Amino acid sequence: MNKLAEPTTATSLRPKTLNAHTPDSQIRNPKPVMTVSGLFKSYHKKNLEVPVLKGVDLTIPTGDFTTIVGTSGSGKSTLLHLMGTLDAPDSGQIYYNDRRIDNLPAREKERLRNREFGMIFQFYHLLPELTTLENVLVPKMVQDGFWTYLRNKKAYKKQATDLLEMVGLGHRMRHKPSELSGGEMQRTAIARSLISDPRVLLADEPTGNLDAENGREVLDCLAALRKNENLTVIMVTHDDSLAEKSDHTIRLDNGVVA
Amino acid sequence: MYKLLLSWRYLKTRFIALASIVSVTLGVATLIVVNSVMAGFVDQMQSRIHGILSDVEISAPLLSDIKQPTAFIEEVREVVGDDLKELTSVVRSNALISFNFNDRQWTQHVMLLGIDDETFGKVTDFEPYLTNDIKKEKFSFDLEETGYAMFDNAGWKYRREKFWHQQELEKLQREYRNLYDEEAKRVMLDQANSSGYTADGRLIQEDSPAPSIENPTKAKFAALPKTAPDIDKLYQTKTDRDKTNADRFAAVKNDGTVELAPFDPHVGRRKKLTTEEMFNPARDQYTGIILGLGISERKMREHDGTLTEIYMVNPGDDVQMTFLSGGNAKPVIENFTLVDFYSSNMHEYDSSFAFVPLSELQNLRGMVNPLTGEGAVSAIQIKLNEGSNLDEVRDRLLSRFPPDQFALNIRTWQDSQRPLLSAIQMELTILNILLFMIIAVAGFGILATFFMIVVEKTRDIGILKALGAPSRGVMSIFLGYGMSLGLVGTGVGVVIGLLFVAYINRIADFVGWLTGQEVFDPEFYYFDKIPTIVNPTMVVWVGLGAILIAVLASVLPALRAARLHPVEALRYE
Repeated sequence: MNKLAEPTTATSLRPKTLNAHTPDSQIRNPKPVMTVSGLFKSYHKKNLEVPVLKGVDLTIPTGDFTTIVGTSGSGKSTLLHLMGTLDAPDSGQIYYNDRRIDNLPAREKERLRNREFGMIFQFYHLLPELTTLENVLVPKMVQDGFWTYLRNKKAYKKQATDLLEMVGLGHRMRHKPSELSGGEMQRTAIARSLISDPRVLLADEPTGNLDAENGREVLDCLAALRKNENLTVIMVTHDDSLAEKSDHTIRLDNGVVA
Repeated sequence: MYKLLLSWRYLKTRFIALASIVSVTLGVATLIVVNSVMAGFVDQMQSRIHGILSDVEISAPLLSDIKQPTAFIEEVREVVGDDLKELTSVVRSNALISFNFNDRQWTQHVMLLGIDDETFGKVTDFEPYLTNDIKKEKFSFDLEETGYAMFDNAGWKYRREKFWHQQELEKLQREYRNLYDEEAKRVMLDQANSSGYTADGRLIQEDSPAPSIENPTKAKFAALPKTAPDIDKLYQTKTDRDKTNADRFAAVKNDGTVELAPFDPHVGRRKKLTTEEMFNPARDQYTGIILGLGISERKMREHDGTLTEIYMVNPGDDVQMTFLSGGNAKPVIENFTLVDFYSSNMHEYDSSFAFVPLSELQNLRGMVNPLTGEGAVSAIQIKLNEGSNLDEVRDRLLSRFPPDQFALNIRTWQDSQRPLLSAIQMELTILNILLFMIIAVAGFGILATFFMIVVEKTRDIGILKALGAPSRGVMSIFLGYGMSLGLVGTGVGVVIGLLFVAYINRIADFVGWLTGQEVFDPEFYYFDKIPTIVNPTMVVWVGLGAILIAVLASVLPALRAARLHPVEALRYE
């Protein structure tokens, strides 16, 4: 078990696993974008307490593609949710750019989710009533008030169209999610997560529901993003082979970092 | 923005929710129809009642009267002052009317009103409700020659024909009686001649036939025409009556076959009358009386379903009135000639009012003071100027004639009709409550549907929250959804309701045609058309109420949606 002491300085940061090449980002910007320390989380099912995270400490370097690998039930999704402020930990702290985020008021958390973090899920989670383009625009709709949105609509549409074209779905903008393939849906979800220029992309088993071909495409897409968009990508997966493309791999086992 | 967009998309794709608001639509439509019809009904009724009753009435209790009306009226004029437009005196008496119909005597109770033909029509809506066209223009208690367009048998011509017919019948009856008498006499003589006594003194009685004669008049009875072919030559028209007596009588005598039976109700009280002075029904009328149409009219449904009216007495017929004299309350029986009908379409009045000239009724009831020649009255009816405050005038009159000193009822027309109007008002209130209950029930339908939709949309809610949508935003998606449903339901309801009201009479006719049963049967209702008034304020309130119920019903599901935990919502399968 590799427990890091209070990781406040960049020097104390040493990724557990290093890829063949030295990550440029670490040289460029050695400060960690996210730091997690002493994270505990358990779920309650009736009177039964199920501990999921049992003291997780880790740091995510800025601008890198980090993979969190773990078997089913190791708590990796829970960890991602906690990092994405979708849930609150029982104890422990989560820092984002040196700012503690796990105990922020709901409004601040919503702002973070909307502007700073992009999220991708295994089951894509697109809104079935909206077209691809509208789905991509949802974060912008959430971000702006009615009139502000209407005023900026043109710019947003342009941005969304560009993003969809980037993920190769320029021709699918008016389609509903039910008319798309899994890969296309996931790429739409990626476009959606990028619309508000997030600093961190949190991906929860993005390829888990896709075949090898589509999975690779999505993965390539994510890997490319890190370089092009200057984005920190955190991916959670159970598949070790997927971790190869990432800069760092963190292994989670039974609720602790292995 | 996403709230509006999603509300709209949910509305477009979830028709089950639309089905749940059909009851809102129906409730709103029903409320609008019911309120409009009731408002129209009340309004029509009020305007009619107001027209029939005067603005303010000062009345003495039944069977008593206002003794010195001239001085009293002066006083009233002074109290009412500038608000007064017109006033009229009325004598009111319960009476029995009896008349002959189908050889039967019909008797019923009426309210006999002695009215001043000059002023009564100015205080109340009287003349427009008469059926005779001439009387509508210029009112009098005389029987008219023409103008009774509503009736087959009416006016002077009818009166003459009826009289002629009766005369002919009587002649035939006399003829028959003479024949019978002669035959009877013959039989008796035969019997007397053939009878005698036996030796032992017994009467010999042979069976002799009862006087039986071939009735030669029977055929004549049957063949008797209703009117003489030259009836107009036979008797003179009303205008002819104004000619000299000699002329008039010469004409009567022209035809030898007719002998006018002189008849005078006052015979014996007067000195012997010459024939021309005697009452001749073909030429003369009793004092005119105007009856409420309902007293004479009977409605009858034919086999084919059409409604026909039968008039038991017609203008031109004579009726007998029995009423009590003033003061000592002795019965007075007097004949009147029906000159016209009063038809306000208010059953209560049409079936009970009978109008006669004021002075005549005062004389007959012995209400005239022999010393002064002044007739007492039962009531004084007052018409006020436009915009006068009725209650205020009534209160002024009440303070001048306080009830503890004067045995008078001082009431506005609204006071007189308060029980009826308040009963209608209460009925309307209860109906409104019941119908709003229907919409409230619809609200529970929306509640249930919405809970289902929230469950179905749990994952979407999770996504929105993951994308940073606040709970308030998620809540307003569903509130907006509920509101749009309410708006659609209410809007459609309002349109349906208003259309229904606009075409209500045609719909009633159609339903009547479809079922063979008249929906709005004029036999039983006050009006032949369903009156409606759409009150915009009412429509707005009904609409707002329905929308509010729809929104309230979506509050609980929306709250539930807002409280969903994003992680659990995302995991929801």
